[in-house]
Amino acid sequence: MFLETLKLALRAIRRNMLRSFLTVLGIVIGVAAVIAMVTIGNGTTAQVKSELSKLGTNMLFVRPGQFGPGRASTTARAFTDRDVEAIQTQISGLRAVSPSNRSTATAIYGGQNHSTSVTGATNDFFIAQDWDLTEGRDFLSGEERGGQAACVIGQTVKKELFGSSDPIGQQIRIGSISCPVIGILAAKGESGMGSDQDDTIVMPLKVFQRRIGGSTDISSISLSAKDGVSTSKIQADVENLLRERRKIQAGREDDFSVNDMTQLAATMTGTTTLLTGLLGAVAAVSLLVGGIGIMNIMLVSVTERTREIGIRLAIGALEGQVLTQFLVEAVTLSLLGGVTGIVLGLGLAFLGTSLMGLPFVTSPSIIFIAFAFSAAIGMVFGYFPARRAAQMNPIEALRHE
Amino acid sequence: MANIPLIEFRKVSKIYGSGEAEIRALDGVDLTIQQHEFVAIMGPSGSGKSTAMNIIGCLDVPSAGEYLFQGVATSGFGRAQLTMLRRHMLGFVFQGFNLLPRTSAIENVELPLVYRGVDAGMRRKLARDALARVGLAGRENHTTQQLSGGQQQRVAIARAIVTQPAVLLADEPTGNLDTKTSIEIMELITGLNRDQGITVIMVTHENDIAEYAKRIMRFVDGKIESDRPNPEREATHVS
Repeated sequence: MFLETLKLALRAIRRNMLRSFLTVLGIVIGVAAVIAMVTIGNGTTAQVKSELSKLGTNMLFVRPGQFGPGRASTTARAFTDRDVEAIQTQISGLRAVSPSNRSTATAIYGGQNHSTSVTGATNDFFIAQDWDLTEGRDFLSGEERGGQAACVIGQTVKKELFGSSDPIGQQIRIGSISCPVIGILAAKGESGMGSDQDDTIVMPLKVFQRRIGGSTDISSISLSAKDGVSTSKIQADVENLLRERRKIQAGREDDFSVNDMTQLAATMTGTTTLLTGLLGAVAAVSLLVGGIGIMNIMLVSVTERTREIGIRLAIGALEGQVLTQFLVEAVTLSLLGGVTGIVLGLGLAFLGTSLMGLPFVTSPSIIFIAFAFSAAIGMVFGYFPARRAAQMNPIEALRHE
Repeated sequence: MANIPLIEFRKVSKIYGSGEAEIRALDGVDLTIQQHEFVAIMGPSGSGKSTAMNIIGCLDVPSAGEYLFQGVATSGFGRAQLTMLRRHMLGFVFQGFNLLPRTSAIENVELPLVYRGVDAGMRRKLARDALARVGLAGRENHTTQQLSGGQQQRVAIARAIVTQPAVLLADEPTGNLDTKTSIEIMELITGLNRDQGITVIMVTHENDIAEYAKRIMRFVDGKIESDRPNPEREATHVS
């Protein structure tokens, strides 16, 4: 009996191909939008996660000010050399303490110039960032302490300024200083936020402070814990130390933050997940509109087929059988739309992710939800027209022209 | 069973509206129809003949009085029970044929069997037989649009008799047909009554069509004005 009803529904849908197609279009677009949004969103989240995991989990970032939803502050004091010394001497279990400051500047070599990010740091930077040199060397202690100019450049800077020639030993100009290239960093690729990490120049912190930054400020300190040392223990120790040093009274909030990678990862994936949800919700509204379209067409269809309904009722169809017939028709329509939408959405997401270089992460749960949701839409929006059909008076229905 | 009439009206009234605007479509009608009869119900429009037909066909219910089918009072029946009665006991033929559009003849005939839950193979066979009985063998797969008016009415008759109903209810069955086709259809219906003993109740306003019946009832103003056997056809009665 159910198979009969399904056949009947398919025939009714086929009988009015164009109209059925237009009806379903709303659902198709809605489902496709949801699937595409969520799949691309999932890809972004996966991308961010994998980038962050590359950075390692034994790292801590110390920055002035508070970060997080609604509490970003820019007025907090920067750190000083003595803060760094205190961390180095008083906190145990650290492999590297890397104070740094960062700015953008134009680097010039020969006829080429290239705007890039310049970081002032110590050799611990390469340890903390787990970043190897492919050529050359890192800073000599004299360069670090004495503020002698020396530059380690990223792959992008190398390509932009030197093309295929060898940069080691060449002098580049950065702002007012002339700086010999002493080393070249290994390629690292894009960061989780989409910026090119290889587009950078690293120089001794002292040189940076004196010649580029213009102050002794330190804008961030990365810490790398020794293997087997708990980052949360170090985090607490650093927090206590800095509260003391920055003279923050008990009960007042920190004016700096110490985050480990997992926290950072949670914040960042939290943001992308929220965004995915938001986009999905917007797309879901179009699904609702699609549902209303189905109801509209089913109502028209019921009115148009009043006579047919009258015939069916007269020759012995029970109310429930007519109700089922129209309900199955509505659900079949919306499911056809749902399945088409899922296929289309996955196609769009595949295209989108490959264009954006994101991983294509299908989520079975969202596909199932889209499927179930489109069935539910057929049920809900098909019920009213179906009930109207089932409750018709057969005499009047037969008289209908 | 022989003594129990197939159809019986006891003081059946059908009243529309109320107070000043009250219309008595049927006004305390008594009637009895036995098995194997062929009754024509006549009368001008508004006489109550269609209302009577609708009540007999369980498409409508009386406002007052009692309608008994095979001796069973139907006054307590709900919509579903009336549907079951229609499904199992009654076959309908309408003036406008009322076939499903864009649907083949055989599928139209199968329709009542679908609702009865008869399996597909059996359905096909019964529908084929019914189409053969109305002279449409070989046209099973013609759609409604490919058939002439007379042929469509034959399909409708096949659909009505495929369930082997106790009563065939025909509402102006020749109203949309030309004279020649009308005669063919009436001969078909007469044959079903004569040869297969199907009880036929037919509403018509044409005298020459009513003459095919064995008994002619005339309604006026919601009452039966006359109810007489048709001597010309009475002779062919098979008891």
